[in-house]
Amino acid sequence: MGTPAIDIKGLTKSYGELKALNGVNISIKKGEFFGLLGPNGAGKTTTINILTGLVFKESGSTKVFGKDTIKDFRYTRSKIGIAAQEFSVDWFFPIEKLLFFQAGYYGIKPKDAKALVDSLLNRLGLSSKRNSRLRQLSGGMKRRFQIAKALVHDPEILILDEPTAGVDVELRRDLWKYLQDLHSRGKTILLTTHYIEEAELLCENVAIIDNGKILKMGAPKELTRELGEAGITVVLENLNGLNKKDLENYKYTNDKNRLHFSVKDPDEELPKIIRILSNSGLHIQKIESNKSSLEDVFLNLTGKGING
Amino acid sequence: MNWVGLNTLIKREVGRFFAVYRQTVLPGLITTALYIAIFGFTLEQRISEIQGVPYTMFILPGLIMMNTLTNATSNTASSMLQMKLLQQLPDLLTAPLSGLEIALAYIIGGAVRGMVNGILVLLLGVFLIGMPVNNLFGTLMFIFLVSWAFSSMGLLLGQLAESWDQLAMMQNFFLTPLSFLGGIFYSIKMLPDWAQTLSYINPIYYMINGIRYTVLGVSDSEVEISILMAIVLTIGFTLASILLMQSGKKIKN
Repeated sequence: MGTPAIDIKGLTKSYGELKALNGVNISIKKGEFFGLLGPNGAGKTTTINILTGLVFKESGSTKVFGKDTIKDFRYTRSKIGIAAQEFSVDWFFPIEKLLFFQAGYYGIKPKDAKALVDSLLNRLGLSSKRNSRLRQLSGGMKRRFQIAKALVHDPEILILDEPTAGVDVELRRDLWKYLQDLHSRGKTILLTTHYIEEAELLCENVAIIDNGKILKMGAPKELTRELGEAGITVVLENLNGLNKKDLENYKYTNDKNRLHFSVKDPDEELPKIIRILSNSGLHIQKIESNKSSLEDVFLNLTGKGING
Repeated sequence: MNWVGLNTLIKREVGRFFAVYRQTVLPGLITTALYIAIFGFTLEQRISEIQGVPYTMFILPGLIMMNTLTNATSNTASSMLQMKLLQQLPDLLTAPLSGLEIALAYIIGGAVRGMVNGILVLLLGVFLIGMPVNNLFGTLMFIFLVSWAFSSMGLLLGQLAESWDQLAMMQNFFLTPLSFLGGIFYSIKMLPDWAQTLSYINPIYYMINGIRYTVLGVSDSEVEISILMAIVLTIGFTLASILLMQSGKKIKN
């Protein structure tokens, strides 16, 4: 296994009495799409801010491609692009100019940044607004500008803090598509989110964080299989011919002609259940499957929903 | 050293104040013209000369200095506070820029504004009232040193301040009174002894008299002391502002 793109070990941080991070460990492979999932105040943004140099850590280590983020800050920061959750405000310059400034901070001269600035403005639908000030953009456009700003130095790692917070469904889908596209081109992506659907759709691995601690880490599917419960409901014409012994390995309830099974992995179990019922000569009228989600996993781990 | 980054931030800082020149460049010129018209022409009826110099001309070096130092200070102070309050600072703090580079860029931005304002007021004096400039190099050197020193001080204030109110308080209660009491409109020899003694602990007094010497050849203080004071302030404020920026105090958690 190569050097991780991001390697966080034993990270702690307190704000007065409040323990914001309590020994956070995260390792993200190069090219991985990784999600940090947790409610407000869980420690997501603090973790990111320590990694990027905005917040001082108390103890622990943060490395980017094997280099320390404090000692080798020029190297590590040049590898990272950040789209912060909070919008910045600038009254003075048009957005295209702001992107050139941002590239300049990373050591890229305007003539060398031009092609990427143009392509980002085009891809993110901001081309017609290149001469507008930030205050003239809609919320969705500001969000897209944040992403353009994060990518203007073509970083290997993209960190997105709640990138789709407050954007409409259409834009959210478009941003997801764009992030998947960036990922397919080899970018390592670290995403923090409240949206379960977002994490499940995009992330190869997620870490569930609450009260400054990583509670569980793994692929969304594995986590739901391990910790989630899903339901399969089968409605039959009648139960004549059903041999209960055939279903003894399943947890199920029987309400008239309606059987409800609780399973870990509905995708795997549904065909087996159908086969058993069909072999018994039963006529299936209707099948419903409610998939388990990371929401269930989160509930299982913390005893509360992700949105409080 | 990230030279492109440093250069970019300098361009941004200079571009920022030029973008609002009606707020950052013109007011100094208008105020100075008003000072010349109101204070100069009216008071000149009563105080015709100080140290052998016509009164209107006597006050001009002080006005150059006041414009230079207030503009240099407010440029860095307001830019830094604005960056903090408007969430722009994270863009700099997460970029591969060191505290030294960020501080230098801000100081240079503020120093340019101080120099632009100082030189424009100098030109106004030359063209409006025919003020001679005794030692042009010395005058420009003074404008440069004071711009740099007070730009650094402004950066300190901007980094430490948490609100516009705090910043305004520092400027209104310290900087402006010290400028006025530094002898813009009078020679301290016109003051009672105790007030003269108090003037000696006001650093701005040395700046005003230093430039008055290089422009008009007259001064209340020894010019060597004024130069030394300008150099000490420049080095002191520069080091303090760079160290504060490197420490991350008030800008990082």
